[in-house]
Amino acid sequence: MDTQHTEQSGELLKFVPRPSRPPVTITYGPAGWLKKNMFGNIWNSLLTFTVFALLFLLLKPFFEWTLIKAVWTASTRRECLAISPDGACWAGIFPWFNNLMYGLYPDALQWRVNLGFCIGFLWFVPLALKKITNKMFIALSGVTLFPFIANYLFLGGERSTFHYIVSCFALAYLLLIYGNIFLKYMGKKQFEQYIEPFTGRLYRKNTFLSAHLMILLLLTIIIAYLLGNLTLEYVSVDVWGGLFLTIIISSVSIVMALPIGIVLALGRRSEMVIIKWFSICTIELVRSVPMITVLFMSVTMLPLFFPNTMELNKLAQVLVAVCLFAGAYMAETVRGGLQAISKGQYDAAKSLGLGYWYMMIFIILPQALKAMIPNIVTSFISLFKDTTLVSIIGLFDIMLMARNIAIDKNWLGLHAEPLVAISVLFFVICYTMSQYSQRLEKKLKTNR
Amino acid sequence: MKKMPKFIVATVASFAILFSLIQAQAAESTLDTVKARGYLNCIIGNSFVGFYTVDEKGNWSGMDIDICRSVAAAVFGDKDKVKFNSVQWAQSFTSIKSGAGDMLSKGMTWTLSRDSSQGLDFLDTYFYDGQGFMVRKDSGIKSALELKGATVCVLTGTSSELNLTDFNRSNKLNLTPVVFDDASVRNTAFFNNNCDVMTNDRSGLAAARSTAPNPDDYLVLPETISKEALSFAVRQNDSTWANVAKWTFAALVEAEELGINSKNVDKIRKTTTNPVVKRFLGLEGDLNKGLGLPADWTYQIIKQVGNYAELYDRNLGPDSALGLVREGSLNELWKKGGLLYSKSFR
Repeated sequence: MDTQHTEQSGELLKFVPRPSRPPVTITYGPAGWLKKNMFGNIWNSLLTFTVFALLFLLLKPFFEWTLIKAVWTASTRRECLAISPDGACWAGIFPWFNNLMYGLYPDALQWRVNLGFCIGFLWFVPLALKKITNKMFIALSGVTLFPFIANYLFLGGERSTFHYIVSCFALAYLLLIYGNIFLKYMGKKQFEQYIEPFTGRLYRKNTFLSAHLMILLLLTIIIAYLLGNLTLEYVSVDVWGGLFLTIIISSVSIVMALPIGIVLALGRRSEMVIIKWFSICTIELVRSVPMITVLFMSVTMLPLFFPNTMELNKLAQVLVAVCLFAGAYMAETVRGGLQAISKGQYDAAKSLGLGYWYMMIFIILPQALKAMIPNIVTSFISLFKDTTLVSIIGLFDIMLMARNIAIDKNWLGLHAEPLVAISVLFFVICYTMSQYSQRLEKKLKTNR
Repeated sequence: MKKMPKFIVATVASFAILFSLIQAQAAESTLDTVKARGYLNCIIGNSFVGFYTVDEKGNWSGMDIDICRSVAAAVFGDKDKVKFNSVQWAQSFTSIKSGAGDMLSKGMTWTLSRDSSQGLDFLDTYFYDGQGFMVRKDSGIKSALELKGATVCVLTGTSSELNLTDFNRSNKLNLTPVVFDDASVRNTAFFNNNCDVMTNDRSGLAAARSTAPNPDDYLVLPETISKEALSFAVRQNDSTWANVAKWTFAALVEAEELGINSKNVDKIRKTTTNPVVKRFLGLEGDLNKGLGLPADWTYQIIKQVGNYAELYDRNLGPDSALGLVREGSLNELWKKGGLLYSKSFR
């Protein structure tokens, strides 16, 4: 009750109008947003103008250089300079584009790289589909089986029968995954369930598993028969390069980092003295030296310990070094996650009668890793960018390829444009990774 | 306790195997290793215009590349039986020591300390260079001694940087070095007026000048302040292999002296009556025996790669990116006043 207006002063209530409300300020829509955030008061307005003026001053030359005055078609840098001396010369990127992507990989064989990446990509598509249930298994199979196909395609050459069969098996596995996805979306039963009645007669137990294996075996044989021991032309690791090599190095190290990191992190928290100190030493030693040192060590020092005649594969040396490095960093990230898990979880797991490995794998690690997703993805992103360091030891990754344009006879001195181009590429890739991690976080957080 | 002796035995055995391997590799010459392997491992750098560059097809070209190809042609009769390993500067010495590379040819200056304490044997110089200065024409500077108080763009970690310091101290010029890690970045900085002078080997200056928006705006000063003998090297204490590399280069120079090049070598080989040429091309005598090479090794070098003049014109000469004139320079034959002098093929 508003006492002021209803106060009785004699016989009648006197009407006193309320003070009128101020005019409606627009607080919605773009105009409202602008007013609220940019021009709220005089100082804000001043600040806005200054910032925009600064931005304009900074961005105008940049846009002029990259777009307005840029040259898109020319055959040499000299020509570019003749057309527009202070614009970017993008024309130099196009003849080298294939090299930025594939390094020195022979042009005629680049389809193998594309095909390999397509297969790899297909393997991870089901992980984003909603109806798929055994995602963990598909991811694991991808990580273990895909390298065989990749090796077969990227490297080529004579391969052992074992390798050939595993590659066929991997293809068969992928086919089966897609077959089942197709059936699932059609609302039908899985392939295995169709075959189960037959295999059930052979093996009473595990009818599903035996059906599964039976199909895989059949598919493998069919694929092996169709391909007919196909031998691809050998492509030496020396000519691998560009984004292709960057992705190879970073994906191998990303895949390896997590297991290495988990093992080291568990080792560090272990109560077994030797394991504990081994883990601590590895982590601290690797973490306390720069990555470039680890790379140099693996490339220059390692050959000194091996006999002269032994041909060391530079890529393998680099991969070992990068995996070790990534693993040590990942170990600390995982350890952070492990420490965030309350003691109650351990006690609860133990009281259920779970042993160490069951407790870790089913109770602790899923929670710890989930909590650490932002950190893990951050280290993946920084790992992806760190791999450009391998250009320093002479692997033709995208960075070294970009720098090589500046020394090409036709494009002598063209060094800024390639760097701008690949930084755009890196931004796209890293941004995608970070967006994926945010999606993953949202999806996994739902049960908390 | 029972496992202890086993462990010791295993350790001893593995050390024994390791030592025997080391012994084995010490006894063998690189020539045998290369022959057995079937190709030559050549150590080069990441990229150096005119000396080693890779094009978008992955083909290497340049002076150092041709030197390595000549050695491959001499040993295998096939200039393509060579693998180029591009390594960083610091790595070049260890790659030769560890045997990852059979020979090093990466535009490296022959210096006493590198020759004596890096496990290398420098063999011969294929390009005589010297450090110079480049300025903008409109600065009006005509001599390096007028550079008082200037800022100088220089690559860090190179002998150019050290020479610059020496030159600065001995002439009391009060120069300020501006160091860069990457030649392209340094060039851009110089062209954008971030420093007054740029210093490098003269060949490098020529290359940089050719990348300028307007090359005629720049002038290379006449002074040469250092001696840069770009030479190739092999692992120390391997004379058999050193001979092969050394005489391969000698053959390039000798061929030019004799007027033999890749175009006329077939004709000369058929028609010549000159005993010197006959001996050189392996038609007479057995000069190849001592080297452990096939009889036609010089023919293969000249046929497949060319003589020194062809190498120079292709990679460094007026029609190349560097555009270095050979006449009157140290890289002429001794007959024309240069320093190239092949020892006697006898």
